[in-house]
Amino acid sequence: MDITPEAVASAVTGVASVRGRGTLPNLMAFARVLKTLGIKIGLSQVLDTARATDMVEIGAKADFRALLRANLISQKEDFPAFDMAFECFWREQAYERVPMETMDIEGTPTQSNAQEGGDEEGGIEEAIAETLAKENVPLENLDEFAIPTYSAQEQLNRKDFSEMGVDESRAIARAILLIATKIATQISRRKKVSRRGALVDPRWTMRKNMKYGGEIIDLVQRKKRIKKTKVVLLCDVSGSMDCYSRFLIQFMYGLQNELWGVETFVFSTSLSRITHLIRTKDIANALEKISGSILGWSGGTNIGRSLHTFNRSFAPSMVTHRTVVVVISDGWDRGDVSLLEREMQDLKRRSKKLIWLNPLLASENYEPLCKGMQAALPYIDLFLSVHNLNSLIALGRTLQKMVA
Amino acid sequence: MNEASVNPKELTIEQVQEILRSQQYVCDRSLATVVYLSLVMGKPLLLEGEAGVGKTEIAKVLSKVLDAKLIRLQCYEGLDANTALYEWNYPKQMLRIKLEEVEKGDRQTVESEIFTQEYLTKRPLLEAIQSDGANPPVLLIDEIDRADVEFEAFLLEVLSDFQITIPEIGTIQAKHRPYVFLTSNRTREIHDALKRRCLYHWIEYPTFEKEYEIITTKFPQVEGNMAKQICAFMQRVREMNFYKRPGVAETLDWVSALVALNRRSLDDKAVVETMGCVFKYREDLHHLREQVEGKQLNLEALLRVSPELVS
Repeated sequence: MDITPEAVASAVTGVASVRGRGTLPNLMAFARVLKTLGIKIGLSQVLDTARATDMVEIGAKADFRALLRANLISQKEDFPAFDMAFECFWREQAYERVPMETMDIEGTPTQSNAQEGGDEEGGIEEAIAETLAKENVPLENLDEFAIPTYSAQEQLNRKDFSEMGVDESRAIARAILLIATKIATQISRRKKVSRRGALVDPRWTMRKNMKYGGEIIDLVQRKKRIKKTKVVLLCDVSGSMDCYSRFLIQFMYGLQNELWGVETFVFSTSLSRITHLIRTKDIANALEKISGSILGWSGGTNIGRSLHTFNRSFAPSMVTHRTVVVVISDGWDRGDVSLLEREMQDLKRRSKKLIWLNPLLASENYEPLCKGMQAALPYIDLFLSVHNLNSLIALGRTLQKMVA
Repeated sequence: MNEASVNPKELTIEQVQEILRSQQYVCDRSLATVVYLSLVMGKPLLLEGEAGVGKTEIAKVLSKVLDAKLIRLQCYEGLDANTALYEWNYPKQMLRIKLEEVEKGDRQTVESEIFTQEYLTKRPLLEAIQSDGANPPVLLIDEIDRADVEFEAFLLEVLSDFQITIPEIGTIQAKHRPYVFLTSNRTREIHDALKRRCLYHWIEYPTFEKEYEIITTKFPQVEGNMAKQICAFMQRVREMNFYKRPGVAETLDWVSALVALNRRSLDDKAVVETMGCVFKYREDLHHLREQVEGKQLNLEALLRVSPELVS
């Protein structure tokens, strides 16, 4: 979602009704504008901002802006949206005269300033307490984040997986197992206490032997901890990927069942989480369930929006600096390329490694020319092909080198 | 210096800017405002920005002007409570036990005595909480993005309540709320919960004017013209495609090298000789050299001070 002046203006108009007099209602309305634009803000931040407003000269616009920005925004990517919203919300003329008053949209006469000013002096804290106590409605609204719903028609195709031989190709399963372990294990610098480690841990040894009056009887040893990496798998199941769907399913299924902590998503024009659907040993049944529940299978592709949904709704809790994110897609994208680029950047920053597996990469003269792929390329740590067993084995080797 | 006794709660934004400048830290108004707010509100300040733009420096400078102790916690992967908070001084405890054995001391007393503050090794966070100097200390938590996510979680407790609980002793409350500065290079995202407790500021690369001011403040002996050439060069190089774009730290390195070489003006030869100060990666140096030799890049042009650089 790109932030356009129109979007900002409509967001500002949208909160016109809840804008009250005085600092706090206006700040909360402003926070809601930011939320509408997709910026995450906690209520505590708004309250802190309100407390801070008397610490700068409100008349000095640049300082006031810096105050709001430092309190409400916590990543630089949100600065442009903030700046636009700020300009639009705290409009110039109204700002100069009655900085914290309502800038009445409907053109109701401006209220008597002296009295309002008096109220302000009365203290932000009171206002906060008051608002918290009585105005439950705006507060609730403030905390909910409306995800824009997309209403264009999605292709409601149900794919029949029945023709797929379930227990075909054990080899593929083995290759996937290898890949899975490579992706998921890494030796950590952190050490854990162990009975058979190579290193003696003096502090724990002392501590443990205190009960013998300090005679060293038990040795405590440490060994290097194997770090469990989490994996998030994002699978493109749009029409252009159709011919690989059998492989994809197997890949998803294999990875999920070999590893602990895999989250699996499929996307075409929208994103669905299917982790819970394939957490079973009964693959045939699982396939049935998936094909029954996924909308837009074999439909068009909007990678950018799918990633956006992922970054907003899932990434904060699922992706840490220990998470490897694997995207399987051919990069044919019908959506907004700049959105895709932004979301890739975001994902790259959050994750430990961002791996993109592209089935098309195998063909001799493939160059990532489609716009989507090109936009995504700079943010990818590893760009590899998957199309047959050999490429899978090669992938396993590459990962092995990368991790070692 | 007489600013040494400033009371941070009574400063104004202008004064913050001024006292930072008195320590040769040039900052723009928005940064000064945020620092001011952080001091007045007692809220930690999270500073992000490219490497070498002066994130860490600001905490150092502030500790100097506020006459406060600087306590620095450098984060790294695997940083845990033992290295960040406190640890029992086991050897000392052992010695005490041994001594008591010889002297036939009372077991109960020994037990209660070896778990007191005397046997505690203070690590940066506990030190910041317990600091009892005249002024609150400045706590710098550097490169928080290098630490593990788990570490952030318990930092959360320290930063919101400014207290530390030690099971054997109890809860230790901060005598003064330390001024907390966190820096991050963004190798990973900081958790929202931590961000919400902090003020946030992104430090940009300096503008031409600001960089000029920084150079002339730090090195008054540098010829104005050469300082301008350096700024022009840095501004243009930052626009180019290098693996690691040089920050202010690199600029200052370069200036001090040129000063040591008694340079009064810059030409392309001098640039090539001293380029190691600006680019710290072999690939970048190689790239630059190749471009210059292949005549794709004209160093003279990079050094030219032209009006479009001045915003």
